[in-house]
Amino acid sequence: MAAETRYSAAEAALAALDVRIASVGMWLFLAANAFYYAAWYFAFFYLKALNNNGAWMISGLTRPSRAYGTIVLLLALVSAGAYALATRAPVRTLLWRLPAVAALVVGLGVVLFQAYEMWHLGFGLTQGGFPSVFVGLTGSWVVEWAAATFWLATIISQARVGGDTILRAAPVAAFANLLGFLAVVGILNWILLYFLP
Amino acid sequence: MAVADLTTERRLSIPTGIPTGVLLAITGYFAGVWLGNEFGLFDDQNTGIILGYVFATAGFLIGMGFLNHPLGRLLGWRLDPLGEADIEVGLGRYFRLSLDHKVIGIQYLVTILTMLFFGGVGAMVIRTSLLSPTPTIVPAGNYLSVVGLHSVMMIFITSAAIVGPFGNYLVPLMIGSRRMAFPRLEALSFWLVPPAAVILGAATFWGGFPTGWTGYAPLSEQAGQGMDSYIVGFILIGLALITSGVNMLATIIALRAPGLTWARLPIFVWGILCTSILGLLAAPVLAAALVMLALDRSAQTSFFLASNGGSNYLWENLFWFFGHPEVYIFILPAFGIVMELAAHFARRPLFGYRVGVVGLFGVTLLSWFVWQHHLFVSGIAPVLRPFYMLSTELISVPTGFIFLVVLGTLWRSRVWLTVPMLFCLGFLFNFLIGGITGVYLSDVPTDVTLHGSYFSMAHFHYTIMGGEIFAFAAAIYYWFPRMTGKMLNQTLGRIHFWWMFIAFNSTFFPLLIAGLLDMPRRVSAYNPGLQFLNQWVTFSAYLLFSSMILFAANIIYSWFIQPVPAVANPWRARSLEWQIPTPVPARNFERVPLILAGPYDYGLPNAKPVADLRGLVGATGGS
Repeated sequence: MAAETRYSAAEAALAALDVRIASVGMWLFLAANAFYYAAWYFAFFYLKALNNNGAWMISGLTRPSRAYGTIVLLLALVSAGAYALATRAPVRTLLWRLPAVAALVVGLGVVLFQAYEMWHLGFGLTQGGFPSVFVGLTGSWVVEWAAATFWLATIISQARVGGDTILRAAPVAAFANLLGFLAVVGILNWILLYFLP
Repeated sequence: MAVADLTTERRLSIPTGIPTGVLLAITGYFAGVWLGNEFGLFDDQNTGIILGYVFATAGFLIGMGFLNHPLGRLLGWRLDPLGEADIEVGLGRYFRLSLDHKVIGIQYLVTILTMLFFGGVGAMVIRTSLLSPTPTIVPAGNYLSVVGLHSVMMIFITSAAIVGPFGNYLVPLMIGSRRMAFPRLEALSFWLVPPAAVILGAATFWGGFPTGWTGYAPLSEQAGQGMDSYIVGFILIGLALITSGVNMLATIIALRAPGLTWARLPIFVWGILCTSILGLLAAPVLAAALVMLALDRSAQTSFFLASNGGSNYLWENLFWFFGHPEVYIFILPAFGIVMELAAHFARRPLFGYRVGVVGLFGVTLLSWFVWQHHLFVSGIAPVLRPFYMLSTELISVPTGFIFLVVLGTLWRSRVWLTVPMLFCLGFLFNFLIGGITGVYLSDVPTDVTLHGSYFSMAHFHYTIMGGEIFAFAAAIYYWFPRMTGKMLNQTLGRIHFWWMFIAFNSTFFPLLIAGLLDMPRRVSAYNPGLQFLNQWVTFSAYLLFSSMILFAANIIYSWFIQPVPAVANPWRARSLEWQIPTPVPARNFERVPLILAGPYDYGLPNAKPVADLRGLVGATGGS
């Protein structure tokens, strides 16, 4: 017979506290993250505005493929959306598990597609300001997305019956905020790096 | 139905600890160097060295055991998230990955003191070299490297000097919590510091770096491989600031005991809170700038190369956007200590508690709007200068609030002149000089004249060493009995204070004069007419260094050689951290206490005790 976890009132109170801690901690982490990406966006606009030596985007530079950028963004949105959907259902039910696993699989796709694009940029890293910002900003984003994917895998792994206590379910809701945040950064990157003239 | 055992813990049977960490760090370093040199995009060593440092750090952390928990989670094992099973006793716990905030506080304290010694040795080398107007023991070509190593090491130390040992040890005790919010993040914030220090020290094998702590481009782009140590070491310290910030803030926000309203929060905790906000938000900007610099040096991007679409001003802006709040990361917890101790030793309620909190937040807020005063002489647009001059001058107003609170508390009180209180008074004197000289440097006309001189150097030593390090010493003398159960020798403490106070002022006040006489900083040669002044300063610096040796000797003597057990509450303070037994129990409080009154209600009629330590049945913390 499968083991079932039951909780005393004290454990439930501790669990509620842990959910609050996880939520506060995640918002703080996202605030730090926002400043990290703000630095990259500052670099983007600053170098673009200065256009030192006319080398922000040298003539003849092949811009990165919008098709790849759009695919990566769509995958990121699907992944974040699927996980947000999962958080509406109780943890460990099929309604939670299916979209969570889908978010994981699609999230891995984000990493793979972005990595593929980075290896087929069509421009060299030494070719001015825009390539520098593109590589740094996209690289930072995809590294963080990969780390988030690992985290998601641990959450799914811990959410099986008998595999965890309520305490460790705390990151489940908070994690949705991280994926949502990264999706928003993905949208901003997509607009700036693929569409802004 | 079977009920799962909630306390069951499954662990990876991998031996962890410092030996494993060092072994994996060495392996990681060589793997990274090989990978970088083999597959790096360009034919330089920077990629290999940067990857080597990154892999070495990862190897060290894995060896210490940081991967066990996430890997166990990935494998679906039942784990112990808060380290409840990790309660250990004995000396060995200080050399392992511990999730006990008290152990981490002590680990930080010893590490900071050790690093302070090496940073101080660097200062002595610099001062010895300056005994003569022409380079002596340090060749002119190496002088900047020594200055750089000293400055960055000291910046590493002062970033964590108060939050690391005292924030980690005391905040849960002061807010009535049985734990930290994120013990693993807390441990990570500490275990990032030793690799950062070692990597920084490794710069000496590559000839150091010529940029000082500011790392200005394009010099940092052209510098040798020692610069890579600066980059990776600083990124690690940035990560430590971020992880520490998340942990401290979440702990203070979510884990205050019932009854501990914001209006009752100890002022030291307010200082830690404001510092953590700054660290949390400023360090990511530094991290981004350092990643850009690393990419420029390894992948040949051009963030900071004007000839190829970049700009060195980008570095200056990003660096100082972090760098100026960083200055307040040093000083805000020191403000907290001085206000806290003033109330306890004046035996009076803290005068203008809310004014003090507003002062701390005022400094926190304004510190984001002043960074360009560092660029007054770098060619920023003249129209920007008045704003940054005024915003910088404005910051003296909330700083004045802090002084008002301390002086108002001490006014007409019978101050108990203990050793920690002496250091607080020393702080007030030194920081006043540091603050006033700062006003001159915030003013554009005088800054243009004085910025590159020893006046500027003496100013920031007055604020950081005369301010933060004096408060750090006060905190050690005050909380040492709480942390170790031993009293520091008070006679040696008084000798230490007067020795350090006189030697400090004898060192740095003449340097203000040297600056006014146009002696440039970061230069190994100077006008022979200033030799007597420099010799005076050097001998004073030796005395200052020896006062720190006396400090270290007092700590070793009182802790290990001739320990004197401290009484339960040697300062008869009201605050919560002194109301619990010595040594502090494993989970701090048997139950989460119920806070009944503020910590500074000295002399008030019908003042309630600060807390009911029997607590509320079923309370879990979280006010």
